[in-house]
Amino acid sequence: MPTTLENWNPGKAENRHPEVAYEVKERLFLETKNDPRYHEFLYGCYECGICVSACPTARFYDYSPKVIAQAMAREDVERIYDIISEDIWNCAQCFSCVRCPRQNNPGGLVTILREVAVKSGLQETKDVLQGYSRVIYKVMLKGNQVSPDMLQPDLFADWGPWVQNFSANMPIWKKAIPVDSIRGVTDAAWKVDRKTLLELYTIWFETGSMEIIKEVDEGLYDLLSDIMQEELEEG
Amino acid sequence: MSSGKILIIGGGPAGLEAARSVAELGGEAILIEKRIGLGGTPISEGYAKLTHHWRDASEAMAELASAVTGNANVEVKYQAEVKGFSGSAGDFTVQIEANGKAESLNVGAVIVATGFQHFDPGRATQYYNYYSFPDVITITDLEKMLKENKVVRPSNGETPKKIAFIQCVGSRDRQIGNEYCSKVCCGVASKQAIELREQITDSKVFIFYIDMRMYGYWEPEIYWPAQEKYKVNYVKGVISEVLPKGNQLLIRGEDTTMSRPMEVTMDLVVLSVGMEPSAGTRAISQLLGLQQNKYGFIEAGGASGIDPVGTSKPGIFVAGAASGPSDLDDSFAQAGLAAARAAAAVRKVLA
Repeated sequence: MPTTLENWNPGKAENRHPEVAYEVKERLFLETKNDPRYHEFLYGCYECGICVSACPTARFYDYSPKVIAQAMAREDVERIYDIISEDIWNCAQCFSCVRCPRQNNPGGLVTILREVAVKSGLQETKDVLQGYSRVIYKVMLKGNQVSPDMLQPDLFADWGPWVQNFSANMPIWKKAIPVDSIRGVTDAAWKVDRKTLLELYTIWFETGSMEIIKEVDEGLYDLLSDIMQEELEEG
Repeated sequence: MSSGKILIIGGGPAGLEAARSVAELGGEAILIEKRIGLGGTPISEGYAKLTHHWRDASEAMAELASAVTGNANVEVKYQAEVKGFSGSAGDFTVQIEANGKAESLNVGAVIVATGFQHFDPGRATQYYNYYSFPDVITITDLEKMLKENKVVRPSNGETPKKIAFIQCVGSRDRQIGNEYCSKVCCGVASKQAIELREQITDSKVFIFYIDMRMYGYWEPEIYWPAQEKYKVNYVKGVISEVLPKGNQLLIRGEDTTMSRPMEVTMDLVVLSVGMEPSAGTRAISQLLGLQQNKYGFIEAGGASGIDPVGTSKPGIFVAGAASGPSDLDDSFAQAGLAAARAAAAVRKVLA
């Protein structure tokens, strides 16, 4: 695409996603910008870098909250597409970055971008969230937490090289070190009261959470909603 | 013979404020101005609006000038220059030439307010091609166009849609010899960027900078509104060169935020040229025997080192950009202090 006034961005020499139409990228940007929270999350940036120094993710990954704030401020549509398709999933949403002296909230921008990414059903978003199907299934259906042996090792690269080891050996370790408080948690965790579970299911449907899951994983949505609706009907 | 009169050299903002202050303190002032009218660089360079409360420059300078010309305690001499100088504090003899006529003045104290000149971008070490490409202009060139509310690309008369400011042209540069910061260019460029966004609403305006030096209230009054309200893009990184590309200008630099080199086209490139001592400041330093710093500005500080209007010679004071880059706040404040010091100096001699 030739550089024009509309698509020119000062931050990027190349277009990393030429296969995606500019209009698509622009729509994602506008959706983000039109979010009612946007103007409270972004004022202006003078590159002080306090958000980067406070950011735990920035220590370990090629991720910068400053770049996110600056890209948004510059309305750099191409770079925002890079960010929405990749960088936003590196953020831990810890909001350490809100100490910004200009009162920007890069973490909040990431929140909006994530919502836009999920709602738009971006393929990159589906790929990133693929590993979480089991986690979502467990949390939403059973109302309890995840244990390490639930992780699918190939999909959690950010756990480092140990994840393979953990995943493979966890059941043996559990047996070798029988700790009462942990036993049971690894496979079933605690049991959530049925009334609470039914309330949770209602919340998932009423708040639109199920619709969001439908965008990123339709199979999981079908499975979850079938079971939940059945349970709700039984009462 | 001891004299109670105070000579003010230069009729720009600092000289006018000094003359007005001397008169208001009950002193007698003679103000000499090389040009045909008062107002100094803001008038001769056609400034549009001042960073000061967005005052119209002509209007603000006219107010100041009329406060001086309308004061019986101030005598103004136009097209006047100092030709010779002798004596000491309380009793200086100054040979001047005014309107082609030689005169001798006897004064007790002198305030030098001979100001600055804008850096000539032909001397820039970067390749900005000011003298080659008509669409490379300076902040002073732009100021004149803003004043007319008609900003165009000089090459073809069209309205520019992509405009880049390059900061620190002729400032903070060891190779050029101007190692100092010129203080006002960040504020002026930001002010102009706001005006551009107002006058050309569909324009994109970029400011490429090393550091933005928006001291004091310039931060909330100019810098933040430029970014937040007027959507001016500030990109940290200075441009290394400006090249022709079709009928546009290609600029090369580093986008330090995104840590990558950058090459983009612009319709208009504005060089934020800094301040240098004016020819008058250099000449008067020699004539009066005042110590200059390595950049040619008059060395201020006085004997104590902490007197911002003191020079190396008792009885001679300096105000405004003759002693270094100053904004109008600096210049007016120094002018008032210089007036007080000069008035005290002649009072001591006369007592």
